[in-house]
Amino acid sequence: MLGSVDSCVLIGLEARPVHVEADIGRGQVAFILVGLAATTVKEARERVRSAIKNSGLEFPSRRLTVNLAPAEMRKEGTGLDLPMAVAIALARAGKPPPPRSAFLGELALDGSVRHVDGVLVAARGLMLLGYERVFVPAVDAAEATLVDRLEVIPCVSLSAVVNHLLGAEAIPPAASGRPDNVVASSSSEHDLADVHGQEEAKRALEVAAAGGHHLLLSGPPGAGKTMLARCMPGILPPLELAEALDVAQVRSLLGELPREGPLDWSRPFRSPHHGVSMAGLIGGGSGLALPGEISRAHNGVLFLDELAEFQTPVLQALRQPLEAGRVSITRSGGSVTYPARFTMVAATNPCPCGWSGDAVRACRCTVAAVDTYQRRLSGPLLDRIDLQVAVRRVELEKLGGEAHAEGSASVRKRVVAARGRQHERQGCLNAQLKPARLRQVAGLAPASRRALERWGVQRGMTARGFHRAWRVALTSADLDGSEQIEEHHVLEALGFRLQDVAA
Amino acid sequence: MSPPDLKTRGRWPPPVGPRVAIVGSRRPSPYGEAVAEQLGLELARAGVIVISGLAMGIDAAAHRGALNGGGVTVAVMGTGIDVIYPAAHAVLADAILAGGGALVSQFPDGTAPRRHNFPARNYTMAALADLVVVVEAAEGSGALITAEAALDLHKEVMAVPGSIFSPLSIGTHALLRDGAGLVQNARDVLAALNLGAEVLDDPLATPTHLGFKLPGERDGIVAHLSDVLALNAADIARKLQLPIAEVLGRLTALELDGAVRRHQGGYVRALRRGKERA
Repeated sequence: MLGSVDSCVLIGLEARPVHVEADIGRGQVAFILVGLAATTVKEARERVRSAIKNSGLEFPSRRLTVNLAPAEMRKEGTGLDLPMAVAIALARAGKPPPPRSAFLGELALDGSVRHVDGVLVAARGLMLLGYERVFVPAVDAAEATLVDRLEVIPCVSLSAVVNHLLGAEAIPPAASGRPDNVVASSSSEHDLADVHGQEEAKRALEVAAAGGHHLLLSGPPGAGKTMLARCMPGILPPLELAEALDVAQVRSLLGELPREGPLDWSRPFRSPHHGVSMAGLIGGGSGLALPGEISRAHNGVLFLDELAEFQTPVLQALRQPLEAGRVSITRSGGSVTYPARFTMVAATNPCPCGWSGDAVRACRCTVAAVDTYQRRLSGPLLDRIDLQVAVRRVELEKLGGEAHAEGSASVRKRVVAARGRQHERQGCLNAQLKPARLRQVAGLAPASRRALERWGVQRGMTARGFHRAWRVALTSADLDGSEQIEEHHVLEALGFRLQDVAA
Repeated sequence: MSPPDLKTRGRWPPPVGPRVAIVGSRRPSPYGEAVAEQLGLELARAGVIVISGLAMGIDAAAHRGALNGGGVTVAVMGTGIDVIYPAAHAVLADAILAGGGALVSQFPDGTAPRRHNFPARNYTMAALADLVVVVEAAEGSGALITAEAALDLHKEVMAVPGSIFSPLSIGTHALLRDGAGLVQNARDVLAALNLGAEVLDDPLATPTHLGFKLPGERDGIVAHLSDVLALNAADIARKLQLPIAEVLGRLTALELDGAVRRHQGGYVRALRRGKERA
């Protein structure tokens, strides 16, 4: 007697199909599990046996073989409990597997179906593999219903699933959770109107938000760097549906999606502490790597406060994802790729004590200490940050006055318009333009080119720096609604290149 | 107290002539740096031997100015004679030797830079000089140790005034308050050395020769900038009631032309020596 159903395991954000077969045959009574199962899956034998018995079903007291195919792929996770139990039940009943359906879920000893991580990722992957129906834990059904063209059967218990399959009592499919239109309610608790002074930094935030550029804020303690960074999500447009799904996928994999309303339209804002490990920031773990902070910040903002305090190897590892917008991590279990297209906002003190350049308090650092501190940031990482701006302390007496700063909402209008121009013109943000494409879509007027070249010669700017300044100038023009990159756009962009000044 | 045994490189003792030590902050404002360089140059031209400490900032500017003026300059080092500190000043040290000057050190060969060695070096510098000029010194600056040592040794101390808003002028203003000579230009120093003929006009009269010319006012922004204290673009934009994007662009254009400079996260007016513009 043979029974089989389909399921899948996750390799990062990719679903690999797994065929679960159960055979009940003659021989010594045993429960044999083959097919390269990791420990979590091997333990499934005990859960499956108890769950079947406690669901009022009969566990075959014969020789039972369960095979997980393809046998050469290592299988991890508890999501295979339910498919194994269903395959055994189908084998006993002599029923064929339901067509184009897949199962996923962990079993409790009493037969109820428990949460597994990554249901959204699995459902999306299964849909792409051609499946039309998924059986998932009822608690995770909301995640799966976000996927288009997929019928979701919420499973409360093993007995309910078996009754459904044997035609005794059908489980109604869950209603689609896919929203028709975006409800733009992304209100940030931090508003630019609350930040006094700092017009230069605010302008830099606006340009960064409009073009997807990375930004470095440098200034003494208490200058408002953190406050400024936290305003960033509020001036970004809410997520598009596809973006929101990408964000939800990463959260799903980590088991962090809320049960109710798994889709969140606000941009992620992640601010890992500077003690964060390589695995925590970039992604990692044993076996297969889990996504790190940079992937959680995908489509959002990664805020790195005290940039110079991060471990140097961790900062070095940021370089590749900053450039590529995704990260590939190889561990013993295989290589996985996670999205990591974030806008980095970094903050740093100008020196170890923080007061270098302050108008009132004197810096107490030695020249060598300042040098060492700044050197930790210099070079390749700084070269990848398009906008650098010095933030200075606002004098206390000014804090009380001028309350009419521009609010986030009106800045966001300009940002949205500028982003719209970019998508219409080139299908991506300016920060992601390759140099060849940049030359194509954004020619420089002679005066603009001259200014860029003069600066390059004076300051020894790299070719990468040249293109970065060019991209920022393009964003400045987009914010202006200008078709041409004028000289003043280039000059503004160059004004945000603090790294060239040391020369 | 006689100076300790000195190890020397280059021409030692230096040619006969008045010796002036120019000392100050290792992280001066553009103003202080320009003053040190200008003083070094004009004093060297007048035949003064310029003594300083080979450090960053005021020291290096003074040495550089003296070399540009074709003069002899002596670096009193806080390290062993064979250890150039900071290492980036190896070129400067070579230029000092090539210009007929000398490097001197009271420390054994191979002595690395140590915090506690520098006060002793400052004392030696005061001992070697006839007069000490402090250009910019924050509170507790090493330059003030040199000034104190000079007073102990009954040498003249002079100081260059700065902005009352600048932390780098606290030390120099304290010296002036306590009776240090006022330096407005090289002639003030030469007068204190009893050199120069027409010196010591009415001290209260407006100095006729400031030594510097301000850059041309091609852009109204420059008039709002200081040459000591950095202003940031936001402050300027608020003062002029202009959009920040425009101010940033105009400042960069001025920077490209060399009329303004970045300093400590803001902008300052760039000082150019008068004769360069003439």
